[in-house]
Amino acid sequence: MLEVQRLSVNYGPFRALHDVDLTVQEGEIVVLLGANGAGKSTLFRTLSGLQRPSAGTATWRGVPLTGGRPEFNVARGVALCPEGRLLFPDLSVEKNLRLGAFVHRRDAAGTERELGRVYDLFPDLVGKRHAPAGSLSGGQQQMVAIARSLMARPQLLLLDEPSLGLAPLVVEQVFAAISRVNASGVSVLLAEQNAFAALGIAHRGYVLEGGRVSLQGSQEALLGDDRVRSAYLGV
Amino acid sequence: MTILFQQLSNALALGGVYALVALGLTLVYGVMRVPNFAHGGLYMLGAYFTYAVLNGLGVPYVVALLIAAVAVALLAALLERLVFYPLRNAPHVHAMIAAIGVLFFFEAVVQRIWGADFKQIAEPIPGILNVGGVVITWQRLLVILASVLAMLGLNFFLKRTLTGATIEAMSQSREGARLVGIDVNRVGMLTFAISGALAAVAAALIAPIVSVAPSMGEVMNLKVFAIIILGGMGSVPGAIVGAFLLAFAEVFGGFYINLDFADVIGFAALVLVLAIRPQGLFRRGT
Repeated sequence: MLEVQRLSVNYGPFRALHDVDLTVQEGEIVVLLGANGAGKSTLFRTLSGLQRPSAGTATWRGVPLTGGRPEFNVARGVALCPEGRLLFPDLSVEKNLRLGAFVHRRDAAGTERELGRVYDLFPDLVGKRHAPAGSLSGGQQQMVAIARSLMARPQLLLLDEPSLGLAPLVVEQVFAAISRVNASGVSVLLAEQNAFAALGIAHRGYVLEGGRVSLQGSQEALLGDDRVRSAYLGV
Repeated sequence: MTILFQQLSNALALGGVYALVALGLTLVYGVMRVPNFAHGGLYMLGAYFTYAVLNGLGVPYVVALLIAAVAVALLAALLERLVFYPLRNAPHVHAMIAAIGVLFFFEAVVQRIWGADFKQIAEPIPGILNVGGVVITWQRLLVILASVLAMLGLNFFLKRTLTGATIEAMSQSREGARLVGIDVNRVGMLTFAISGALAAVAAALIAPIVSVAPSMGEVMNLKVFAIIILGGMGSVPGAIVGAFLLAFAEVFGGFYINLDFADVIGFAALVLVLAIRPQGLFRRGT
């Protein structure tokens, strides 16, 4: 289980996260709602090890994630699919995916198996596997980004706004894939502005506002909450 | 016609040497995003190490070249640890100034040990090869073949091995590389080591043709920076094309116009390219 306790992150004098408490149980999809600048990406960068917190703890299955070393976190089963994707644009799709399995570089057979699995999940990528990742459409690049993080064979997948800038049909495809990944036993923490699609597949959710958790609850509770409905569902 | 072929072989040999030095510089820039002004110093040390090993140990030329390459590679990795790593979070200008300091330090140490005067390295295979009237010295042929071999080896390493892919990955997205679990410090050290080895090989190859002197690093620095700016900072094909462009401009310009103009022509080409394509020939404009 992911356990975040009283986590605070400062950028200089600016406090981006303030005493955040959050959990993800094994097998859950938990959605993180919030406007731009609410602290979603900061939380994800911290959980992945890119950013060190100024206070508080974050552990996955009891192992601390706050050492500031992403290679440690991904080797412990926590993979981030970041906002902006951070692909290797001039490398082929397949090379991007193989690099995603870098922590399993001594297990070639396992990497081949996983490669087959992610192509099965995103069949659109099969025909593009020799194309430079940067030449793909936004939706396909997002698929490469998710697939690359899956190549690390995570137990906890952190997805930062995977639907950003994608056409509705592609969003549907991406969310269906996330559901399938979760069904295979991977726990998921999903940041979204597209609250409706996200709550559709999530078990529970949190709302971040100004770096604090302002609301949390089950899927039904959040879908029925007036503040969520007006702020994030537009109804 | 014969003269043309001789100039061609001169240009190819010079271009091969420029390419090896420029490739290391562009790889390091791609990975660290810092121009390593000490790079010419590594090249100069490569020449002196070759000279010292040849005279001190009396080993064959190729062995001396390899020993120099390994020694400079280790030194370059150490340079990354001692100078660039501690400055990784400082403004870039700090690392640049430190690198210039390292260049002067290398020069001073070399001058203290070997003196300021020119040193000569004997050609391993003296004489010339004459094919139907076209004359090429064995050393130039060796330079051309060895530099092509080194470039093919580097290309194989970057494109076909996972470790090579980590270098390309890191130069394209540093954070993306960290997120997939690549240890960026290790890749940084490795890239420095490769750049040092390439510079030393280039220096050992050209040393029997030119003279070895402490100032050779500064001169080379100027040229390879021009080359990677020409080709696009961080671009591997750009470094190779830029290297041969500059070598051809220098050799043929020097021959057909005036030898004194050789350097001027090279830099005039640089100014021209920058006026038309400021990002360099092989870098996508952003």
